[in-house]
Amino acid sequence: MVNAVKGLFISCDIPMAQFIINYDNSLPASQRFIIHVLDSTHLFVQPHAAEMIRSAIAEFRDQNSYEKPT
Amino acid sequence: MGHGDKGGRPSKKPKFSAKELAHVEDDDPYYGGEDVDDDPRDGEGKKRDFTKLELKPDHANRPLWACADGRIFLETFSALYKQAYDFLIAIAEPVCRPESMHEYNLTPHSLYAAVSVGLETETIISVLNKLSKTKLPKEMIEFIHGSTANYGKVKLVLKTLLKDEVISRARLNSEGSRGADDFTISKTMGEIGAGPSDLLNEAELAAAAEEKETHAFEIDPSQVENVKERCLPNALNYPMLEEYDFRNDTVNPDLDMELKPQAQPRPYQEKSLSKMFGNGRARSGIIVLPCGAGKSLVGVSAASRIRKSCLCLATNAVSVDQWAFQFKLWSTIRDDQICRFTSDSKERFRGNAGVVVTTYNMVAFGGKRSEESEKIIEEIRNREWGLLLMDEVHVVPAQMFRKVISITKSHCKLGLTATLVREDERITDLNFLIGPKLYEANWLDLVKGGFIANVQCAEVWCPMTKEFFAEYLKKENSKKKQALYVMNPNKFRACEFLIRFHEQQRGDKIIVFADNLFALVEYAMKLRKPMIYGATSHVERTKILEAFKTSRDVNTIFLSKVGDNSIDIPEANVIIQISSHAGSRRQEAQRLGRILRAKGRLQDRMAGGKEEYNAFFYSLVSMDTQEMYYSTKRQQFLIDQGYSFKIITSLPPPDSGPELNYHHLNDQLSLLSKVLSAGDDAVGLEQLEEDADDIALHKARRFSGSMSAMSGANGMVYMEYSTGRNKFGKGQIKGKPKDPAKRHHLFKKRFT
Repeated sequence: MVNAVKGLFISCDIPMAQFIINYDNSLPASQRFIIHVLDSTHLFVQPHAAEMIRSAIAEFRDQNSYEKPT
Repeated sequence: MGHGDKGGRPSKKPKFSAKELAHVEDDDPYYGGEDVDDDPRDGEGKKRDFTKLELKPDHANRPLWACADGRIFLETFSALYKQAYDFLIAIAEPVCRPESMHEYNLTPHSLYAAVSVGLETETIISVLNKLSKTKLPKEMIEFIHGSTANYGKVKLVLKTLLKDEVISRARLNSEGSRGADDFTISKTMGEIGAGPSDLLNEAELAAAAEEKETHAFEIDPSQVENVKERCLPNALNYPMLEEYDFRNDTVNPDLDMELKPQAQPRPYQEKSLSKMFGNGRARSGIIVLPCGAGKSLVGVSAASRIRKSCLCLATNAVSVDQWAFQFKLWSTIRDDQICRFTSDSKERFRGNAGVVVTTYNMVAFGGKRSEESEKIIEEIRNREWGLLLMDEVHVVPAQMFRKVISITKSHCKLGLTATLVREDERITDLNFLIGPKLYEANWLDLVKGGFIANVQCAEVWCPMTKEFFAEYLKKENSKKKQALYVMNPNKFRACEFLIRFHEQQRGDKIIVFADNLFALVEYAMKLRKPMIYGATSHVERTKILEAFKTSRDVNTIFLSKVGDNSIDIPEANVIIQISSHAGSRRQEAQRLGRILRAKGRLQDRMAGGKEEYNAFFYSLVSMDTQEMYYSTKRQQFLIDQGYSFKIITSLPPPDSGPELNYHHLNDQLSLLSKVLSAGDDAVGLEQLEEDADDIALHKARRFSGSMSAMSGANGMVYMEYSTGRNKFGKGQIKGKPKDPAKRHHLFKKRFT
């Protein structure tokens, strides 16, 4: 029987996919959101996770970018 | 990579603006009234609201905008740019100098420097007023008055250093702290330290200033630094001018040397020298010229103008050799008048005047020395030097280098540097250690004039591979992060591609910089190129550099951070940087300096010449890692000098295949396991002693004099010198695997 799950399809580059997978692994089992890792640039995740992933990525990127103090 | 959400970044602006606004309300009548009542969140914008400034009717012909907060903007396309630039560089600090608009800042220190090169308060104000598009704000005029009025009243004319202290004792009663007696000074220092306005002191000074006659007295040499510091604007506000009346100095013997006729100083070198020898006397100070713009000629010219004994300090043995060579090249000095004093060559001083070239470490070294060098050091200590020439002076503020200044008696100090920035903000110490900044050249003007190479700066973004990035993110690898992003296979491929491209297509000479020793060794071994790092001996270094300069087969060398300063490699015109010392702006600029020496024919180099760029600076950065942060921070100094970085994202080109290393996943994985299995120490930064943003070669220089280091008994040195790591990977730090054939016959069997 066909089993359908509603989810979010994420398409990103290779390092970001690794970042999301690593983020997912750092959470306790109950909160993990990745349903399936499709390939190195595509992920299928729980629909509610979008905001969480976005803010995690934003924080990560902020750490890696320098702003000149004024 | 466009899907990052930048909206979440916290903004710090509102916090600051409140404070600024309060400040504006208090002392700034220009901004009074309705502006202040507005929404405080616009404070930042308001501060930059210049609508109140009055434009002069002929403003289009004038090149400057002067603002009440001390900032000055200069239009470089103005017809008066050259004159305005020369003037501004004398009175203000350059903040940022892109192509068509420069920003300067008036500070007490910069005005002090202005006065010390002979500008007077009224001249400064009237010239500034002439050049400004707007009427000069009242605050600025008051500021200039306030900070220049007292300058130069106390002149530190060191005519006789060794005269006894009778005069100064006699002066003590009437002149108090200005009398510069050692204990008076140190006491008041402790008391006031922070606050500039101590009533007692000011009263004393006012009284002292009223006496018009000239008093001359001597200061205890060891207290000179304190006295000078006390007199700076943040303390007594009586900065002293340090001048040396070398023509009338009959005590010290003359040195017979002149510039050779073929040594033609370039216009900017001439200008910097004229600032130094303004009124027939020599002033102490710092001259800032980009690397490769001919700092050595300025130094040699200064020495041959003063014509007294000269002590020249450099950062390492290689540059000592280079300085000695430069002296012989540009001046008529005889071979027996110049001597080098390093751990390898201890030449003795002959005659009664001459030039000694040595390193900071040799002079400041506090431990036990060999008898021979003890004698030489004693001679250096006892002699009165006409000129103390300090190369790469940005390294001086560190404690050990102050010592150098305090133990050598010199009439005049000249500091030379390319990058007057340090991450620890101790650069202002130089104001009393040496003197004010006398001249600073504009990099872009020198590029346009063809005096230094026109460099294409590029930041190459290398995506992390999947496996490396997965490891990079793991918490347990936090200490290996650097090794992981430096050893990123994509970076390696980009590096290899660039080396091939420049070697084969353009016939360039390439330097590859890597701070990370593990990476340096891995890269150099894989690509079969020579390398130099902390433990490479002086002899081997010289050999490698010689091969690089002359041989057609050696076109690429790998350098660790020992190559950052003063190793002169004029042939190189490409730099590839694969790892670096965190966010050090100075290192970036110094490395760029390695390729700034102009090459090729002048007409090709000038603006509009055949070749647009003749030197290339690549910084390889792994994307999505800390390196991105550091890389941007490092570039700030060069950006302030007007350089722009081009970003390259597709290197190596997508169609490149197995001709570059690490094409196959298996190779990448074995590299990864190599990085992961290496010890944390092995993958870290190259550790050189005394390396807090300082001198790289310290360790090798310092220990090579002692017996324990020579015999390898010193554990630290032993590790540094180990070459076993190169051949057998990371694990083997100790023990030099010897060639079995060379072993003593008794041991041959035992180990094989």
